Amino acid sequence: MSVAKVLPTISVEGLTGCAGELLVILENLDHLLPYVRIKSFPFAQSRNEDGPVDITFVEGSVSQNHDLEKLTKIRANSRWLVAVGNCATTGCLQKASCQQCSAKSMMQAVYGNDSTMSVLPAQPLEHYVKVDVSLPGCPINATQFLAVTASLLREQLPYITSKPVCLECKMKENPCVLIEKNAPCLGPITAAGCGALCPSVGAACYGCWGVCDEPQIEAMKIILLEKGYDVDEVYSRLKAFGAPEHLFERMDKKTN
Amino acid sequence: MDIERKSIEITEICRVEGHAAVTVNFEDGVIADVQLNVFEGARFFERIVLGHKYDEIAHITSRVCAICSTGHVVAALNSIEGIFGFVPDQRDLLHRELMHLGMIIESHATHICALALPDFLNVGDLMTLAGQHQAEFEIWKQLRSLGSTIQTIVGGRPFHPVNLHVGGLSSYPNKEQLLEMHKLLDENQENAMRLYSLLAGLGVSFGQGAAPVYSALIPAQDGYGYFGEVIKTSTNFQANVDEYRHYLNEKVVRYSHAKQSTFAGQPFMVGALARLFMFAERLRPTALALYEKSPLASKDHNTILNNLAQAIELVEAIDRAKVVIETLLANKPGDSNSKFIHQTAALEKKAGAKTGAVECPRGTLYHYYELDDSGKVIAADMITPSAQNTARIESDIRQLVAGLKEEQTDAIQAKLETLVRAYDPCNTCATHMVQVNHK
Repeated sequence: MSVAKVLPTISVEGLTGCAGELLVILENLDHLLPYVRIKSFPFAQSRNEDGPVDITFVEGSVSQNHDLEKLTKIRANSRWLVAVGNCATTGCLQKASCQQCSAKSMMQAVYGNDSTMSVLPAQPLEHYVKVDVSLPGCPINATQFLAVTASLLREQLPYITSKPVCLECKMKENPCVLIEKNAPCLGPITAAGCGALCPSVGAACYGCWGVCDEPQIEAMKIILLEKGYDVDEVYSRLKAFGAPEHLFERMDKKTN
Repeated sequence: MDIERKSIEITEICRVEGHAAVTVNFEDGVIADVQLNVFEGARFFERIVLGHKYDEIAHITSRVCAICSTGHVVAALNSIEGIFGFVPDQRDLLHRELMHLGMIIESHATHICALALPDFLNVGDLMTLAGQHQAEFEIWKQLRSLGSTIQTIVGGRPFHPVNLHVGGLSSYPNKEQLLEMHKLLDENQENAMRLYSLLAGLGVSFGQGAAPVYSALIPAQDGYGYFGEVIKTSTNFQANVDEYRHYLNEKVVRYSHAKQSTFAGQPFMVGALARLFMFAERLRPTALALYEKSPLASKDHNTILNNLAQAIELVEAIDRAKVVIETLLANKPGDSNSKFIHQTAALEKKAGAKTGAVECPRGTLYHYYELDDSGKVIAADMITPSAQNTARIESDIRQLVAGLKEEQTDAIQAKLETLVRAYDPCNTCATHMVQVNHK
C-alpha cells in the first residue's frame, strides 16, 4: 500500500475588493493542484476547512469589522500570510476614497444615522496584522503569483521587484509615450511587475500598481507640468490609486 | 417533517463573487421574512470618481468588479462619449464589441463550470472537480482561456483593460493576432456545444414557475447583442436609459450593503434569461436551434434555467465574435504589431450629464456621470445587475422555501444555494455604491 503524500496546504480568502485576485488564482489553479491541497477557497468551492494552513492568500482591504475578525483568524491559522493585490497591500482606490472623506460620513449617507452596520476606513492588511509577503498588482500578475507560491513551497521568501515600470518598458523597447507622445504616463514612479502594459499598447501608465521604490515625485511633477498638465491633474492621477499622503507633502515642499 | 423550524440560515454562500448570506425566518410554520444580506464591505465607487477627469473614469470604475470589468469600462465610455456627443468609428466599435464578447465568454464559462455545475455534479471542492470530472474541467479551462485571450489581445490584460479609452483604442490587434483569436474561436465551438448539452441533460428538478418581469436593452445592432440605449421589459415598457430614475426605484435595505431595485414597485429580473426571453429570435442559426429545443422556448420561467441561457449565449458569442473578426480582417489590418498608429480621437470636451448602459453577463448595467466644463466628474451613479436582481432573488427564495416545507433544513439550504447561484450574483458589484442625492 502506498503512503499518501502529505501536500502543503493553501487557502485563498477575500475581504472587500473586486475579486480580481481570486479570479487570477482560480484561473491558474491547475498549475498548483499537483503540489498543494486547497484547504479553503470559498469563492471557488463549498467544502472548506478551518484550522492551521501553510499559506493563505488574502485579497481585499479591511473595510468592516467582519473583515477584521476574519483576518485575525486567518493570521492565527497561517504560517505564511500573503497579501495579494493592491487593496490588500496598500488599500488601493478604496483607501484613496476614505482619504477624501470619512468612511463614517459615507456610511451615514448610504444607510442612515442609526445604522448598526460596521464600516471601517479601508486599510491594507498590514495596518492590522503581520504580513509575510506583499504581492502588489491590480490585478496581480499570474506569473508573479506562481513564482511567489513556488518560493514559499521551497521555504524561501520571494523577491518581488519594486523597480519602476520604465525598466520593463525599456526592456520591451517601447517608444516612450511620456517623452514622444506627451501622454501623462506615471511609469517613472509606478512599481513594475505588470510588464509595462499601458505603454505597450500606446497608452499612459495610470499607476494602478502603486508607487515604486523611492519614487522621484518632484521630477514627475515637473515633467508633467512641462507637458502642459496642470497640478490638479497630477494630483488626481496620483490619488486615484492611493499614492501615500507623504508623497504629496514632499511634492508640494520641493516645487511650490 | 420538522415543523418546529424557526429559521433557515446560510451564513456565507460559497462559489459566488463576494460575500452574501441568506436568512429565512418562520413564525408558526409560515415564512415571516426573507433576507439576502450582502455583507461585502461597502465600497463607495460613486464617491471615488468625484473630481477625477473624464479620461481616468473607466480605469477607476473597472475596479468595481474584475470579471465584468470590461462592462464597467464600456458603460462609463458610453456615458462620457454621450456627453461629448462623440460617436466612435466602426473599427473602434467592433473592437469594443469583440472585447465585450470575450468577457461574456470568460464570465459565462467560469460561472457555469466552476461556480454552478458543482451543485449538479455533487462536487464539494475543486480538486474533486479537476480529478473526477476532467472533461468538464477541461471545457472550462479552454473556454475561459479563449475569453481571457481575446480580452488580453484587444484590451491589454484579461480584465481591468488598459487599451479602451474615451474616443477609441490606443492600438489595434494586428492581422496575426486576429487570426489567432479566430482559430481559438473555431476550436472552442465544440466546447460550447458540449457545455450546452451537458446542462440541458441535467434537467431541473426544482424551482419556481411564476413569470417575472424581465428587463434588458434592445440591441442596437440587427442581431443579438449587448449594446443599446433603449430598455425594454417583458411587460412591453420601453424607455431610453436616460430615464432610468423614473422606472427603476433603488432603495436601501437595513440588513444589506446592497441596495434593491424594483420596477414599477415589483421585483424584476435581468441577465441571460431576460435577454433570451425577449430577443431570442435575433440569435444566429446555431444558437437559435439550441434555444428552440430548450425549455426556454416554451417560456419556462424556472430561474435555474439561467445557467442554460448562459450556455446558449456562449455559443452565440463565439459565433458573433468570429463574424466581428472576419469584418476586421476584411478591412486590411496591419501585418506588424500596430503600436502607436492610433491617436485617440481629439475630443471636444463639454459639460453635461448622460447615462451609459450595457448588457453585462449578469444583466443591464447603468453608469451615470455629470461632468463640469473642464471634464471633471461632479456627480455619479451606478446601478449594477446584481443589485437589480436582489429583490427578485428574495421573492424567488420565498416561493422555493414555501414549496419545500416538508424537507429537511440541509436539503432546503442546498437548493437555496443552487437557486441563488443561478442568478450568478456578483456581490462585489452590488456593494459599489454610495447614496447620490439627485437635484
